[in-house]
Amino acid sequence: MSAVPVQPVSPGAASPGAASPGAEISVQVQTLDYFFGQGDLRKQVLFNINLELHRGQIVIMTGPSGSGKTTLLTLIGALRSATTGSLRVLGQELVGLGNRQLVEVRRNIGFIFQAHNLFESLTAAQNVEMAVELTGNLRQKRQRATAILENVGLGDRVDYKPAALSGGQKQRVAIARALVNQPQLILADEPTAALDKQSGRDVVTLMQQLAQEQGCTILMVTHDNRILDVADRIINLVDGRLESDTNPQQFVEAHTVKSLDHNMFVM
Amino acid sequence: MRLSWRRSRRRIPLAWYNLRHERSRLLVAIAGVAFAVLLMFMNLGFLGALINTTTNFYDQFNGDIFLVSPQSLEISSTKAFPRQRLYQAAGIEGVQRAMPLYAEYALWKNPETQISRAMFVYGFNPSDPVFLMPELNTDAARQALQQPNTTFIDRRSRPEFGPQTIGLETEADRRRITIVGQYALGGGFAADGTLIMSDQNFRRYFAPRPLTQINLGLLLLDPGTDAQRVQATLRSRLPADVNLYTKAEIVRKESQFWIQTTSIGFIFGLGVLVSFIVGTVIVYQILYTDIRDHLREYATLKAIGYSGGYLFKVVLHEAVILALLGYVPGLILALGLYALADNATAGTLPMQMTLFRVVFVLALTITMCSLSGLISVRKAVTTDPAAVFA
Repeated sequence: MSAVPVQPVSPGAASPGAASPGAEISVQVQTLDYFFGQGDLRKQVLFNINLELHRGQIVIMTGPSGSGKTTLLTLIGALRSATTGSLRVLGQELVGLGNRQLVEVRRNIGFIFQAHNLFESLTAAQNVEMAVELTGNLRQKRQRATAILENVGLGDRVDYKPAALSGGQKQRVAIARALVNQPQLILADEPTAALDKQSGRDVVTLMQQLAQEQGCTILMVTHDNRILDVADRIINLVDGRLESDTNPQQFVEAHTVKSLDHNMFVM
Repeated sequence: MRLSWRRSRRRIPLAWYNLRHERSRLLVAIAGVAFAVLLMFMNLGFLGALINTTTNFYDQFNGDIFLVSPQSLEISSTKAFPRQRLYQAAGIEGVQRAMPLYAEYALWKNPETQISRAMFVYGFNPSDPVFLMPELNTDAARQALQQPNTTFIDRRSRPEFGPQTIGLETEADRRRITIVGQYALGGGFAADGTLIMSDQNFRRYFAPRPLTQINLGLLLLDPGTDAQRVQATLRSRLPADVNLYTKAEIVRKESQFWIQTTSIGFIFGLGVLVSFIVGTVIVYQILYTDIRDHLREYATLKAIGYSGGYLFKVVLHEAVILALLGYVPGLILALGLYALADNATAGTLPMQMTLFRVVFVLALTITMCSLSGLISVRKAVTTDPAAVFA
């Protein structure tokens, strides 16, 4: 694979990250390093990450396992605390924030996980209502939960428990939960990994559509090549470093067998 | 419509839904808590019955002030003191009547099985109104007691002592004895059965013990007399070889003896403690398993913006629900077993539910479950929200 041409990361004008100058910046990462462990076991997993996500963009993050994608995602999601560099999310600097403040930041972010992580004991609507309750809006929570579930095409499954829903339906409930408070930033980790082709396609189309309606930024980690086309931008993380930052066409061209020299396969 | 309005205004009771979702686990948890509750009730019940039995026969003793040797521990282990003290007390103003009571253990032979067993025997002067039981306060009863080698027998004696038929003849301390009447008194923990006989017969069975040495002195006061004032006067007049107690005081003294200076109080106290620990462990197991099973969901809640405090409340809420759900069947079972124990001991072990105990065990149960909640909650509260992405 060393033959694959890699675009160097340049936060400059050539990067698709700056394709719409003047657009509002949802996430701004500057010279971010991150380490796991302490003492002798201390291991650096992220190296000098510089990244800007603009409002309304759908950004897909790819890269081999262990490349630090999920770590970066959890840092942006205020699920871990960053200690070096700068990490601005929705206008708030996260570096140096305390636990309580991080919880506050998380309330403005929608999370979608590989596993749906729904409470089996709650119905679809109640699972979504758990998110609405965070806003303190108890009066309209049921109404809002039902509305968003209708939006994701589950209007007739509102009072079903997860056990009675298919994998795709469960993931759609999880998406409804992530979107119900109309967050400005959505972070998704392999949202289609557990789904078949059609359900996976439905889920990303839904995310795309809702992102357009609500104007929110989506950062999605995925290995699923079938859904790359929804992205405005694809960033590639290798060994904790940003290797490329391209649009889908360039990415597909760079990563598909077609573009490779057929001599590679000649013995 | 109104229901849905109310439902929508309330926060989702996640704790209750989580517990309810796993029906079989919930049932096991309720059974565990109920079992611990039952154990606590039984131990407290035995302890309460013990306190009661050491005191309830005093209800049938017709005295306002009691004279006891300072070396006496409780009714069945008394040190005799001179009858003289009683005569001295009788001369004090306000004392209406001074009555001696004798007490000893005798071996009573069951006429059917021929097995002898220790019976607690009271001796009194039949012309003194020492006991309040109506059966003993008739002319016929006094007449019967004054016959040689006769006794009244306690209906609450254990069945092992044999039949209690009036007219029945058997042996007590190798001497013929005839049952001439029955009464209900109860012997508490000290005695499995009691007899009441005249002082003259008492003298016969316990020779060579003289009647000048008495075990308990009962003083009846003139109506409207202040017992405490008479007690103070008596104290200043009588030598130090007798102690003076009002009825309430002697009842409290004997309860304390049983609870504090015998292993019985300790055993039941320990029983309550062990039940408490067993309950705590059971509830901990249930809550811990529940938290472990829902760890991803809890981590998700933290990821979407719930604080550790919220999860803390959920787990504590589950603990309190378990406490209340387990308490009710525990209480019902305990009431049933109380009645059973009362029956099995023919009323000699009066297991009665008191309001204090109902509230006390409820408080213990909630404490027990909350404690388990506190031990198990750490895992939920410290859940790494980033773990859901792993």
